[in-house]
Amino acid sequence: MDSRYAERLTVADVARAAGLGRAQFSREFKRAFGESPHVYLLTRRLERAAAMLRFTDRSVAEICMSVGLESIGSFTTSFTRTYGVSPTVYRAKFPPASTFAHVPGCVVRFYGRPRHQTFREDGGGART
Amino acid sequence: MYKIATTQLWVTDQDEALAFYTRKLGMEVRSDVTLPEMGGFRWLTVGPVGQPDIAIVLMAIPGPPVMDEATADDVRALVAKGFAGTVFLTTEDCQAEYEALSARGVEFVEKPQQQPYGIDCGFRDPSGNHLRLTQITMPGV
Repeated sequence: MDSRYAERLTVADVARAAGLGRAQFSREFKRAFGESPHVYLLTRRLERAAAMLRFTDRSVAEICMSVGLESIGSFTTSFTRTYGVSPTVYRAKFPPASTFAHVPGCVVRFYGRPRHQTFREDGGGART
Repeated sequence: MYKIATTQLWVTDQDEALAFYTRKLGMEVRSDVTLPEMGGFRWLTVGPVGQPDIAIVLMAIPGPPVMDEATADDVRALVAKGFAGTVFLTTEDCQAEYEALSARGVEFVEKPQQQPYGIDCGFRDPSGNHLRLTQITMPGV
């Protein structure tokens, strides 16, 4: 479940892979891990969604789909219940994802605004 | 003091590479940001589930002005040949991983072979990068 949560995985699928009936699988899982497989799977998906909200610029809808959920409405409800705020508000609480883009120096040199420029390279003044 | 954070592979198409590394290899997206103000530069990293402290950046081969066209052609040619750098992956069960990945459509150029250090196979990504997948059986290697 840890690696394939992004697929349309259901508890029934996992139970089948374990060779158990769904009810028995759920019981055994809960006994072993302390929570139901459904909750575990959902939590994993929401954790991934939270990471993608912080570190990618994908839309909420795209993120919902890419963690294996289909309904944006129920995704938003579940997310808010777990994280206390909606996906959009959660994202706004952190620096934009672009902050974490390690743009290589050779790219910045051509496109970025130089900071602390103390010499006139193109005749323009120092820019901050 | 420093640590290795990210290793890099050139890719010819970031969307295609992303689909390969996530859907076929099962890695997860770590970051995916496009910066229009940097000529549309897209910082795209992926990594294996359960190994959060390292990632692979799938970097688009740039054109001018960052990289001149002749150099970009050279890079594209090297990538297609699989000589533009590689990533060595390890697994607990090379044969099982080889079968699972093959079933998902990964193109293997070398089936699992016995080596002094373990069992080793190789596959390519859509750009041509050659990656190794190894099961270490020799302790301390």
